[in-house]
Order: sequence, then C-alpha cells, then structure tokens
Amino acid sequence: MSEALLRVRGLTVAFPTASGPGEVVKALDLDLDRGGSLGIVGESGSGKSMTSLAIMGLLPKGATRSGSIEFAGTELTALRERAMRAVRGDRIAMVFQDPLSSLNPYYTVGTQIAEAYQAHRRGVTRRQARRVAIAAMERVHIEDAARRVDHYPHQFSGGMRQRVMIAMTLSMEPELIIADEPTTALDVTVQAQILDLLAEIRADTGAGLILITHDLAVVSEVADRIVVMRDGDLVESGTAERIFTDPREPYTRMLLEAVPRIDDEIGLLRTTAGEAES
Amino acid sequence: MTDAPGTLLRARNLVKEFDVRGGGLFGRSARLRAVDDVSLDVRRGETLALVGESGCGKSTTARLIARLVDTTAGTIEFDGREVQALTGKDLHAFRSEVQVVFQDPYSSLNPKHTVERIVTAPLVYQRRPIPGGARAYTGALMERVGLDPDHSTRFPAQFSGGQAQRIGIARALAVAPKMIIADEAVSALDVSVQAQVINLLRRLQDEEGFSCLFIAHDLAVVRQIATRVAVMNGGRIVETGDRDQVFDTPKDPYTRKLLAAVPRIRPEWDAARRRNEAARRAREQEDAQR
Repeated sequence: MSEALLRVRGLTVAFPTASGPGEVVKALDLDLDRGGSLGIVGESGSGKSMTSLAIMGLLPKGATRSGSIEFAGTELTALRERAMRAVRGDRIAMVFQDPLSSLNPYYTVGTQIAEAYQAHRRGVTRRQARRVAIAAMERVHIEDAARRVDHYPHQFSGGMRQRVMIAMTLSMEPELIIADEPTTALDVTVQAQILDLLAEIRADTGAGLILITHDLAVVSEVADRIVVMRDGDLVESGTAERIFTDPREPYTRMLLEAVPRIDDEIGLLRTTAGEAES
Repeated sequence: MTDAPGTLLRARNLVKEFDVRGGGLFGRSARLRAVDDVSLDVRRGETLALVGESGCGKSTTARLIARLVDTTAGTIEFDGREVQALTGKDLHAFRSEVQVVFQDPYSSLNPKHTVERIVTAPLVYQRRPIPGGARAYTGALMERVGLDPDHSTRFPAQFSGGQAQRIGIARALAVAPKMIIADEAVSALDVSVQAQVINLLRRLQDEEGFSCLFIAHDLAVVRQIATRVAVMNGGRIVETGDRDQVFDTPKDPYTRKLLAAVPRIRPEWDAARRRNEAARRAREQEDAQR
C-alpha cells in the first residue's frame, strides 16, 4: 500500500468582508500519496491558489485557516512559524507562475540558489553552496551552468528563469513540489520542456507533485489524480482517467466541453449545460 | 495589377525596426527588426489567424496594419487604398473600417466612462449621428453581444472579464467595420468564458460578414476560428495556408514543432467520454419516459 504524503481534511480559508467572513476555500479534502501527482483544476476565483498557499502557511494577512493538513505524519496547522519555516522550502517547495517576480533582480541566480540552500542547511560553506547551485542548474539542463551561475535573472529567458526556480526548489530535495501555474506565462514549446523536466525530476527523486492550473490539457498529461474546484468548493475528484472519461458533475462536463481541441471536431464550443452561448 | 475581388487587405514586404539600447553600459544603439519582410492577404469575410510565440512579431504586424505604428518599409493596401498614404478624411474613414479588440478589456476600456459612452465613442469620433439615439443604439449592440441592455450606464469595473471583452467587441461593431483585428482577444479569459467569446465572434462574423485578423498564440483556439493560418517566427511568416492544411500537413519544421508542443487530452479519453455521455443521456431519457 502506498503511503500518504499529504492528507488535507476540512480545509477552510476565509477572509473578513463587510458582510462577515467570506470563505474562498470551503471544507476541502485532498489526498496525495508519496511520489504521486495531484492536479488541482479550476477557473479564476475557484480557490485553487489559496489552497496551495494555505498548505504552505503563506496565506495573505487577514486570512484565517481551519481544518487539518497532515504532511508525512506531521500536522502542519499545529506547527509554530519557526518549525513551519523548516518544512517550507526544505521539504515542501513551491514553484510560482512568474519566475521574474520570485527572483531578486539585484543578485546573481547562483547567489540566490546558494542562499536558499544555506538558509535550510546549517554549517554549509559558501563554496559548498555554490557547488550545489551549479549541480542543481545542471540537473535542470541549463547549459554551461558553471558560467551561467554568475548571471542575473534578466539575462535568462522566461523558460530559463523557470528552470532556475525549479533548480532552486530542487537543491533542497523536497518531498513535495507545489507548482502553481508554472507554465502559464510560457510559450507552448517552452511549456512542453518544463513539463518534461518536472516529470523527469519526479521520476528521479520520487517527489510528490501538486500541479495547480486552469489548463485541462496540461493537467491531463501530468496528474494521476485530479481535483476540480469552483468558487472554493471541491466539485469532483478522482483519477485523471475517470475525470476525463466519465465526468460526473455538470460543471466538470461543461469545462471539458469548453476546451478547444487541437485534434478534435470543430463545432460550437459547449459553454454551459444545454446552452451554446450566453 | 489588380486585386482579386475577394481580397480586402494586402500587406507586402512589411518591415518594422525599433531602436533598442545595445548591451553594456555604453548604450550603443542597435536596431531590432521585429517584423521582417511580412506579406499577407486577408480576404473578405474570412478569418486569417496570425500565430506564433512571444516576440515573433505578430502583434507588431497587427499594429502596422491598423496603422497604430508606422512601417519602416513595405506597403499595406486596404480595400484598394494605400493605407500609409491616407490623411485627413480618408484616414478617419479607415479608422472606422478597421477596429481593434485588445487582450485586456479593462485596460482598453476607459474605467471612468459608462458602457454607453464607450460603445458610442467611435461614432462620436467619426462625427456621425447615432441612429435612434445613444441609449437605444447601445442597448441594441449590447444585446447582439449577449449583454443585458439595462446595464448600459454601468462602468467597466462592474463587469466580469468575459463581459468586459464583449463591451470591447460591441464598441468595435458600433461603426460596422470591414475588418476586426483581434489581438489575443480571448487569451486572458477563463476557458468557459473563452468558449463563449469564440462562439460570439463566429456568430457575429456570419451575421455581419466582416473580415478578421486574429492574433493568437493558442493553436487550439486558432483552429476553432480560423479560415486560414499564417505562422510567424522571428519576425517572418514561415508558413501560410488553409486551416486544415496547416494543422494536418504542416510544411515548415517550426510549425511542426509548435503543433507537437501543444498539450493534448488523450483522444481515447475524449472518445470514451463521448460514449459515456451518450449512454448517460440515453439513460436520462429512459428515466424521463418512465
């Protein structure tokens, strides 16, 4: 039997509003096995990004979180900030949509990877950290890593910057990678490379993956299990094959009908159940 | 040489160069050739999709054609007239014949103007009378793009992204253009909203018969809407052809690479889903008859 890496029960995230607390994630349950991959799919405002921030303990000010988040047997909601900081980045790492805003423009990428590594590994010398940075960049197939390590973020293309971000998360050998729309800002050919890279890393390191995306085609290629969210609610969850071959909820069916296909019949795109255009 | 009667827009050998600061601290100036010898035709009533990745020059090409920026070289002929030579009244007329719908509806709609003022602005700019009065005219246009005509006094921020994009489309339609340039007009929308706007554009084109230059990076979307496709890479058009030819038998290696990279839902999953959907409907009908 496979071991549970992440077990989320009744996760609720709320923000105070003029008319009382507004729940953006409502009593959500999630399960991810060690080495598994889970896709969280939804349109804007579905609460999918808030879910990932809640797991990371990175919710914006004012947000309240309730429910249980069990990671490898540890209840994360019971941890103090200091203990949570040891988990975050070290055992759970996050890749965001926009690598340029996640990297500091004033420091070389090597400095930033090394700094992140040193922050989590006590007693590591700068020289050792630099070697780790170069190795991580080589692992994500950045050519000439020994020279590129001294370059600044603006000297990298969007796809290369996302590789740098992934290199940074990898240097810590996390057990869980949470990728929030990691390829949304990238060109389609670069997106394919980054998705291949994530798959390769999972195969090599055995890390679990949570992929958060609005793109059903992307999630169909990456995830074994899928959770569909809408307005903070879990609409439907199941294996990728079940969701894509036999969606049970009308919203999931509508989403699948609305995706334009590159290799399917061309007709009116279904948008809401029974209604072609509204 | 005369135009084929079916051709609305003829662009020949378009070049656009920008001055850019060169590398290093010394600010050596350099020329960036964003559009490099681009020729294309848009026929009456068709949708030509211009596709490519970021920085390929597709949006700059659209801006050249709309005469929002000046060309470095090349010619653009629209409905038999030389676009770069247009001045005064003729340029004014051109501005109403070619309308642009942009990617971000919120930044292309004045946030301080009501829908009524936004949608009738092109007519006011043209100093044309508004048929039937501004309120009624706006209401009719809003209905055509699937918006509630009672909302004509609202402001853009009071609409969702998809609705705001419909306002942009209504504004474009207000002057009955001969061509609409849609620059990534559905790229920022959620998938279900995107599908609605694609369906809307197709229906309106059927009804009104305008031509469309559809700029996009998403090949699956392009396949839903294009009559013909031109693929750009590095400022050049690498391949032009009918939609099915480009998608089914792409000739250029770059087109093939682009198509291969598009993420796909497994066709066998889609087929199984359709079978299950049909079975479910049959069951529901049986239950209803019982």
